[in-house]
Amino acid sequence: MQIVQVLAYGILLGGIYALLASGVTLIFGVLDVVNVAQGAFLVFSALFTWQIWDMFGIEPLLLIPVMGAMMGLIGWAIYRGMLIRVAPQGPGMTVLLMFGVALTMEGILNLGFGNKFKSVTPAYFTQSLNIGEIVLPYPQLISGVLAIVVLAAIYAYLRFSWAGRALRASSQNRDGAALVGISHKKAAGFAFAIGAATAGVGGVLLAIMYPIFPATHYEWIARLLGVVVLGGFGSIPGAIIAALLLGTMESFAATFVPQWAPLFFYGTILLILVFRPQGIMGSKTREDVA
Amino acid sequence: MHKLREPRVFVPLLLLLVLALFPILLPDSTYEESVLIACFLLAIMASGWNLISGLAGYVSLGHSVYLGIGMYTGAILSKAWGIEPMYLMPLGGVFAALVAIGVGAIVLRSRSHAFVIITIAVLWSVQLLAQVAKPITGGADGIVVPPPAWAKELGNIPYYYMFFAVLLLTILLAWFVMNSRLGAGLVAIRNDEGKAASIGINTTLYKITAYALSAIPFGVAGALYGQYLSFVNPIGAFGILTSVILVLAALVGGRGTLWGPVIGGFIIALANEFATVSAGGVSARVLIMGIVLILVVMFLPAGLLPTISAAIKRRREKGDTVKFIDQTAIANSRTEVDTSAISTRMSTTSKVENILEVRDVVKTFGGVRAVDGVSLTVERGTITGLIGPNGSGKTTLFNCMTGTFTPTSGTVLLDGENITKDRVWTRAHEGLGRTFQITRLFKSMTVLDNLVAPLEKTSAKQMVAGRYSGEEVDRAREILDFMGLSQFEKQNAAALSFGQQKLVELAQVLMLRPSIILLDEPASGINPTLIEKLANVIRRLNEAGTTVLIVEHNIPLVLSLCSKVHVLAAGQVLTSGTPEEIRNDPLVIEAYLGPDHLLEAPSV
Repeated sequence: MQIVQVLAYGILLGGIYALLASGVTLIFGVLDVVNVAQGAFLVFSALFTWQIWDMFGIEPLLLIPVMGAMMGLIGWAIYRGMLIRVAPQGPGMTVLLMFGVALTMEGILNLGFGNKFKSVTPAYFTQSLNIGEIVLPYPQLISGVLAIVVLAAIYAYLRFSWAGRALRASSQNRDGAALVGISHKKAAGFAFAIGAATAGVGGVLLAIMYPIFPATHYEWIARLLGVVVLGGFGSIPGAIIAALLLGTMESFAATFVPQWAPLFFYGTILLILVFRPQGIMGSKTREDVA
Repeated sequence: MHKLREPRVFVPLLLLLVLALFPILLPDSTYEESVLIACFLLAIMASGWNLISGLAGYVSLGHSVYLGIGMYTGAILSKAWGIEPMYLMPLGGVFAALVAIGVGAIVLRSRSHAFVIITIAVLWSVQLLAQVAKPITGGADGIVVPPPAWAKELGNIPYYYMFFAVLLLTILLAWFVMNSRLGAGLVAIRNDEGKAASIGINTTLYKITAYALSAIPFGVAGALYGQYLSFVNPIGAFGILTSVILVLAALVGGRGTLWGPVIGGFIIALANEFATVSAGGVSARVLIMGIVLILVVMFLPAGLLPTISAAIKRRREKGDTVKFIDQTAIANSRTEVDTSAISTRMSTTSKVENILEVRDVVKTFGGVRAVDGVSLTVERGTITGLIGPNGSGKTTLFNCMTGTFTPTSGTVLLDGENITKDRVWTRAHEGLGRTFQITRLFKSMTVLDNLVAPLEKTSAKQMVAGRYSGEEVDRAREILDFMGLSQFEKQNAAALSFGQQKLVELAQVLMLRPSIILLDEPASGINPTLIEKLANVIRRLNEAGTTVLIVEHNIPLVLSLCSKVHVLAAGQVLTSGTPEEIRNDPLVIEAYLGPDHLLEAPSV
């Protein structure tokens, strides 16, 4: 029975990783930008959730659309204001720019919230769902399920809507998409906004699960980027598979060798990269055309 | 010694001299010394980082991990062996390099963004490891390091000189790398990695070497730094803020330059000290660093040093007129030139008649069989053509020959040897040279630099050899002369017209002494006069013993140059024969012009 519980826990955790990492991989796919600020977006959203909950005692889950929209807007502004200018200089410079954005956000949060752990603790924080011998804490259960639902909605949107097709077209062939009327700048701004919005949603989910303080964004970005690398850059299905794999892995490690759990996480990534340098779903692209 | 008069040589040397004399000139300035030690350390780190991230363009965001590894190496071994960590500095460098080789071997094999990301993950996981592996590392509490044995009244002065010495050695290392062929190869990788591989640069080895070298100064300085701080703990040793600050330092000073990271190291260390003293705690510093990083990336991406030197250069050149270059003289290949410069290397020794052969090659992309069981040969000493309508699989087959793709099945033989799975640079070493349809010269380098970049083999001796040493430069000049390109020697490749670039790229490939050259649509996008000159060059190369395979759309050019032509259609060989046979083959006409054409054509 313990195995089932650990597995269920792992899948829920994997679902959250999947949602968070899909934003990073979407941004990479369309913009060719490694968004190392995604962790900062996440913590930013989580701390604002805490603030609003602390002040008004509002149910934190209701803030999901608000935080999603807010981070989406911030993401779009970052793209239009800064990234658009630096993008022509290539991924090396954009990664440094986003690093700067992450630090600036961390600094702002440090000044605003102080370098202390903050926890959102609604009524269900300490309760759990018991099915037979399986015990699933509500925060984990709710966050995991909501993450999977939001991710499914985003995936369906990218898959079936006109805007989603435009994004995919622009990520596969920027110039070709431009020829059929898809502005890359608009597509890129939109993709960055959606990517940041997933962090907005994810921040709320994290806030009810874990204590948060500004500098934890490093830990989160290391995890998310690990998932993205393992899944194969730019591949959302790859990120989902990698997230579920790593979530389960971590859940098992946390149960049986708790101290070593985070190392299992990175160890798995490095081990798989030894055999598949391009990641699980990554493909080698043609290199003959410059 | 006349070089000493140049400001860019004597200014830094003078400043270093001042720093060397500082503790003697101004004794009892303990605070200033500690600030300068921080400057030295940051300059060491920024210079080290520059080797992989500045030269090769692979940004590392977690490079301070190697400082921490040096610190722990010093602390752990000093405890075990009972000696002071400062004597373990070389071992710190060795351990840092070993870890870098391990990490590099995993993430630097392919060309991808995995590197930048894994660097953060590595910093993070090593910090976790240091916390968890309590028996060795002391866990979160860390290890207390004994104070140095020297007399107390000396204060920090011995540390000052030791850090200073490490800085000098790091600058020397950077200078050496930049002026070696290793450095030239790294810059080539930063410019265009696929192209670098095609001219024989073992990109994987070069990147891993650069990464390992970049870790050494960190490891060496780390062992010393641990003792300087008198304790080592996971948070202090593997802090991400150190990584941020060193990246910022290199960026502010100027990536890819020798002195840029050093200057940046001093500027940022001083700014950091100022921020700590006046603006308060870590939070404020993180915010300031973040904002500065954003501003530098947006408004000063090249860094201070390159920006300033570019401005000086512009002011100096203001009065100069642009030199006129006689465009008509281009590629008037001179006949009296010694053809030994363009000689091939194995044509006389090998007995295999078909220098290049593909057997049953299949390449599929999903369900598309782009190349569907092609077998063909290129005879030694010929000019062979490969033609076919758009979508016939020419380029895919070409890519299977050059190593850009690995065939789904089938084999590729070069000189009778199976090269199907060989890496791109290995093929270059084995005598296969290629050009690109859209030229891929290293645009920021001069024509001569482009020509000396190719490597005929991978060897340690060659990596450490000077950039312009050996007979390569002479040969490069001979080849330029042969192609009629001598007057462009010092021009930047980007300044040339597309047609000129095509000729330079061919010249570049000749530096490999290839036994066979694969030309990918050499005539596309250049004017008819230049096409004629190009044809002459190809003929003369062939007379000198080089086999040539041309993939081309310009049918008249192919038919006039080649002695044998293969025609591809729908991924298969339609026919092969002499130009005369091909010209009259109804199948070929049909493949190009469609079946309707035949109904009317014969009556004409």
